[in-house]
Amino acid sequence: MLRAAVFVFVLVALSHSALGQGVKAPSLTLKSTEGRTVRLSDYRGKVVLINFWATWCPPCRAEMPDLVKLQRAYGKDGLQIIGVTYPPERRARVRRFTRKLKVNYPVVLGTHETKAGFSPDETLPLTVIIDREGTIRGIIAGILLPEEFNVQIKPLLQRRASEGEMNHVQKNK
Amino acid sequence: MFRRISNFAVACAMVLALGLTTAFAATKTTTIRVAGMKCNQCASSVAKALKATAGVQEAVISSEKGEAVITYDDEKVTEAKLREVINSTGFKVAE
Repeated sequence: MLRAAVFVFVLVALSHSALGQGVKAPSLTLKSTEGRTVRLSDYRGKVVLINFWATWCPPCRAEMPDLVKLQRAYGKDGLQIIGVTYPPERRARVRRFTRKLKVNYPVVLGTHETKAGFSPDETLPLTVIIDREGTIRGIIAGILLPEEFNVQIKPLLQRRASEGEMNHVQKNK
Repeated sequence: MFRRISNFAVACAMVLALGLTTAFAATKTTTIRVAGMKCNQCASSVAKALKATAGVQEAVISSEKGEAVITYDDEKVTEAKLREVINSTGFKVAE
């Protein structure tokens, strides 16, 4: 009985780690298109969406105006989107594109390794959901659909920032 | 007596006709050509958007062939709507 319980526990743990869910997000420090250093740890206490994208990826381009709207609508509730480009990409082209779309969140230049650090899934766009404590809560492959936002992200935003920070402080004690 | 039999026959015919209409109206499969779908990593967004559309039962995307093969309930969704969904993913339906 105990052996079966341990087996189930290991299976669940493995499936979670394979999906990258329920584990601490790796650290991320990259230069933005404007030359600013962006660190994932600077956004602790917020619900962070790391959106991997590329200017040469049509669905990524199609998704971006919706991400701008989400940042505008839910930024006050603690939503923070970070765009991370996937190579091959040129800084000038990315900057031109994000300015044209009036992107209202930081966009940093990533590498293959940056994306692989979060998910082995090769799909683009790919959005990693990180809760207020810095834990990966989900990975959305493909364009983020409104239903996915409502089911997977909104509940995280509804938990108040102070609540998330409190849990973080208690865990670190 | 004759009237009863004829009423029964009419009722049976109506039920049969309704059943046949439902059976024929249900499932359709269409192949839509999609332009510029060269990026394998991006093509899954098309399948995802189609599968999230009410009435779509299956969507198989081939970036090599540049096409989407979609099985759908034509009472719930039209082919025009499917084309609209594909265009919303950033790719363009090839006419």
